[in-house]
Amino acid sequence: MAGVQTVRKQPLTSSVGPLDLFTHLVEFWRRRDLLWHMTIRHLRGQYKQSVLGYAWAFVNPLSQMIILSFVFSTIVRVSTAENEPYPLFLFVGLVPWIFFSGAVSAGTDSVTNAASLVTKVYFPREVLPTAAVLTKIIDLIFGMVIFAMIMAYYGRVPETTALWFPVLFSIHMLFTLGLTYPLAALNLYFHDVRFLVGVVLTLWFYLTPILYPHDIIPEKYEIIFDLNPNALFVDAYRRVILYGQDPELGRVLLGLGIAVIAFLVGYYIFKKMESGFADSI
Amino acid sequence: MQTVSDRLPAERQIEFTNVTKSFMIREGRTLREFANAIFKREPWGDEFRALDDVSFSVGHGETVGIIGRNGSGKSTALKLIAGVTAPSSGEVYVRGRVSPLIELGAGFHPDLTGRENVHLNASILGMTDREIKEQFDAIVEFSELAEFIDTPVKRYSSGMYVRLGFAVAVHSNPEILLVDEVLSVGDAFFQEKSLAKMHEFQEHGTTIVVVSHSPDLINTFCEQAVWLDHGHLMAEGPARDVVARYLESAHYTVPA
Repeated sequence: MAGVQTVRKQPLTSSVGPLDLFTHLVEFWRRRDLLWHMTIRHLRGQYKQSVLGYAWAFVNPLSQMIILSFVFSTIVRVSTAENEPYPLFLFVGLVPWIFFSGAVSAGTDSVTNAASLVTKVYFPREVLPTAAVLTKIIDLIFGMVIFAMIMAYYGRVPETTALWFPVLFSIHMLFTLGLTYPLAALNLYFHDVRFLVGVVLTLWFYLTPILYPHDIIPEKYEIIFDLNPNALFVDAYRRVILYGQDPELGRVLLGLGIAVIAFLVGYYIFKKMESGFADSI
Repeated sequence: MQTVSDRLPAERQIEFTNVTKSFMIREGRTLREFANAIFKREPWGDEFRALDDVSFSVGHGETVGIIGRNGSGKSTALKLIAGVTAPSSGEVYVRGRVSPLIELGAGFHPDLTGRENVHLNASILGMTDREIKEQFDAIVEFSELAEFIDTPVKRYSSGMYVRLGFAVAVHSNPEILLVDEVLSVGDAFFQEKSLAKMHEFQEHGTTIVVVSHSPDLINTFCEQAVWLDHGHLMAEGPARDVVARYLESAHYTVPA
């Protein structure tokens, strides 16, 4: 940018039309260095003050897995398809869920927490929630490491269809971003949003087939799960990682469609509200 | 980023056209107030005009002072130039990269080291990784913090904080520099150094906008000045004339 003179109208114009979306996305892409620095900052800052450091990223998924496995395979006996060991069955859905819920809550607070920056200097504000979401990928990676160790414990070798995982996860992340953007923006105006997000995430967890298999859901409630994108993703993860099946193309395309629409709509709402951010903090 | 070069003549760097900026003053921000505002049509807070129909422009390479009493709209004007807030009506055009010397170190993360914060802050100001790499040594040298650069900034004194923030901002190759009273922080030695750096910018043709309530600073440092009072533009022109009129009004309203 140095040397190149760009004239701009106030970067924050309150009238953002749908056609400006592309321009904004190009500008966002141009600032990917910043996105990277912001993500690193979150990562380094996150555990810096703690004695165990990054080990904490293992503690959360591990403790949840142990307690949930104990409750749902020893006390309440949930039967899994093909008598899959419950910890494996659980973990393949729980790890992406931990990413999803962590990313949505951190993303919701991201702009509010950066108040001192937002009121001083302009940069595309979507960097903040995006960095918050990207930071949670590290939790996913740690979770997957634990998952791999449990696989090894049960003497299982990953199926080759597990190579689908990065593709499915990318779509899941796009969906997560689309959900996070408007929440981050709304949270500036109403601090109620963060509390609401906590409640909704708890309900959403139980309504997603993570603790139990999809096929035990009574038919009359099936619709709730068909409308739940997270159920779509969790089912797909199980298929490719545990059962060695390719994902159903139709469902992948459906997930992709939902994710792209969520992303574009969420991003649009965020940009539309952006001009009021500094005034609302 | 819209290209609107036809709207801004080449010799102009900043242009305000009939800019009004109003804020809603709200007590609390909860859904209850929002619901009341929607369903009972209660006004959602009071409106406050920080800037009222203000027009002025800043030429390329000029140093302009914005003078006025507290609450006159000076800081709002700077925020509009920095692009952190949008005008309620009217238009603001800005040409080139803006570097705000406003509350330096605002983006610093206390747990990260000076080095990590330099990278982050420079990136926020729009520098590419390559530019940061090229400028890094100069930034550290200017800040005089070489021996503390790998210390978390929460261990820094407030002076050190500001020095590092200032060093990053002035090395970000800005075309427009926004200065908000920050020259008054730091010890006398660093102040002198900062002022020297600002003169260097002036010589290089960087456009500088200074906000101050100190008539002396505006008089000695700026060619042009804009005087704001309660959001209204009172005068615009050569710094000496504007400051003289400002002092005159202060004389009448605040008898010594």
